Amino acid sequence: METQQPDEASAGGEAGAAGAGAAVVVPARRGGGGGGAAEEEGGLAADLASRRSAETRRLVLSQRRLPGPLPPGLARWFPALEVLDVSGTGLAALGSELLSLPRLHTLLAKNNRLGGPGSLPKGLAEAPLLGRSLRVLNLSGNRFAELPAALLGLRGLQSLSLGSNRLHSIPPEIQELRSLEFLYLGGNFITSIPPELASLPSLSYLVLCDNKIQSVPPQLAQLHSLRSLSLHNNLLTYLPREILNLVHLEELSLRGNPLVVRFVRDLTYNPPSLQELAGRTIKSRNVSYTPGDLPGNLLRYLHLASNCPNPKCGGVYFDSCVRQIKFVDFCGKYRLPLMHYLCSPECSSPCSSASQSSTSQSESDSEDEAIVAAHRMQKVLLG
Amino acid sequence: MEHTQMWKAQTLEELVQILHHLFAGDKVNVAEVQALMDSYDSNPLEWMQYAKFDQYRYTRNLVDQGNGKFNLMILCWGEGHGSSIHDHTDSHCFMKVLQGNLKETLFEWPNKKGIGEMMKKSERVLRENQCAYINDSIGLHRVENTSHTECAVSLHLYSPPFETCSTFDQRTGHKQKVRMTFYSQFGERTPCATAVLQENN
Repeated sequence: METQQPDEASAGGEAGAAGAGAAVVVPARRGGGGGGAAEEEGGLAADLASRRSAETRRLVLSQRRLPGPLPPGLARWFPALEVLDVSGTGLAALGSELLSLPRLHTLLAKNNRLGGPGSLPKGLAEAPLLGRSLRVLNLSGNRFAELPAALLGLRGLQSLSLGSNRLHSIPPEIQELRSLEFLYLGGNFITSIPPELASLPSLSYLVLCDNKIQSVPPQLAQLHSLRSLSLHNNLLTYLPREILNLVHLEELSLRGNPLVVRFVRDLTYNPPSLQELAGRTIKSRNVSYTPGDLPGNLLRYLHLASNCPNPKCGGVYFDSCVRQIKFVDFCGKYRLPLMHYLCSPECSSPCSSASQSSTSQSESDSEDEAIVAAHRMQKVLLG
Repeated sequence: MEHTQMWKAQTLEELVQILHHLFAGDKVNVAEVQALMDSYDSNPLEWMQYAKFDQYRYTRNLVDQGNGKFNLMILCWGEGHGSSIHDHTDSHCFMKVLQGNLKETLFEWPNKKGIGEMMKKSERVLRENQCAYINDSIGLHRVENTSHTECAVSLHLYSPPFETCSTFDQRTGHKQKVRMTFYSQFGERTPCATAVLQENN
């Protein structure tokens, strides 16, 4: 029995049908018939066992209420299984029955009750075959409050969906998913993006819409293969100017963010600390030092120096910098507010036009007061 | 007042046939076309061949060219995919949901100078088999699949057919003309290079 649901070909990177005779769709059992949960569980096992096949590559159990966990015999009955769809079945846990499926590359378990401890089998990433074969994992519409640690070792995982869960953050360990190309985290409660996300070398589709994100780390610009970035419906007021470096970006969504349209007038300016001034001197004058010279925390501090983006400056800064909103035409289209970090108010914006004494008419209009002359430099705090 | 006949399309093929009949003349009876579109009960087996999804954005898949009088196409929306705010280049636009749900947000036309946040008029969620109608005199709209777990598929009818339209930045009202392309035509994938950044704002 073989039915190809149109939504199996969805944008979640799911595999298409493996071929005629290779798919099994198990319909919901009809009729109540006495018996409690135990009988029903046994019923499911019997049902599946009766359909056992060494050729079946795709098993669809979705949209039926499963009485209990998947039966342990799954791998024995369907050893060639490549795609398993248990979406919309009310499952609260996926267990070790999955671990011995040697060829499973796509696991769809959206709209279930996964999220509590033990939702995913222990040793998932270490499973000798599954840990390497799994490429697509869809856990959208569940109850995960944090990205399950069991996933983090899945080095072959290319596509991960955790949309509509209850995530509040993305763990920095996400960078361990080295093969990740597609990451869908829309519809959660995420407040910030860890810079480690930018270490994923193949990430091309990143969805963070419908969250509570207040800022985008500039490191995100290191995602050279990023083709599509979805940030709509968040709490962004500006973007880092480095976003301009994402030259391969073809889709970008920013609607539904409180992006500033006008300059926010000066609030307070915090002068740099002594530590910062010392750090700047060491860096800009190339004062040499060896690891033995300084305590570890200061060594790490010096390592974090950021270069002032002003190419004529060549200075560095650590924590104290002037933040300036600059409106830039993004790919010749709309004006986006980008945040520049400058090492001091005396430094001028690297994107500003040659004239510095007053706003040049061609760039300023009633909509933005982006170009700020050195003597009018305002520090903007967007809290 | 034109007589509005009530048509029932049992299949997609029948829908196309009746559409050819309704668009044979010069006048479009909007109520009649909408009732016809409403009457078709979505059957995935009939339109699956046109429903080609793209990982990154929604796709437009041409189904029928209506003898030059209209374009009938199927749009496939992955999770979270949405369109920019756009106009309809003086054409009629009928949109019927074949699978999933689509949120339609109506906007007023921005004022002449195109300055300032665009005004939202209304929004609604269209469910399976529901059909909406819009044209430039009604306003502009944005269509989105707001689901993070389900895809959506919709059937669109545009008459007369058009290849370009304007998209609008919600924050400023700034507009830009864009050329629309087909991801597939008559069930066959028809790739073409997109050189321009698609920004859905």
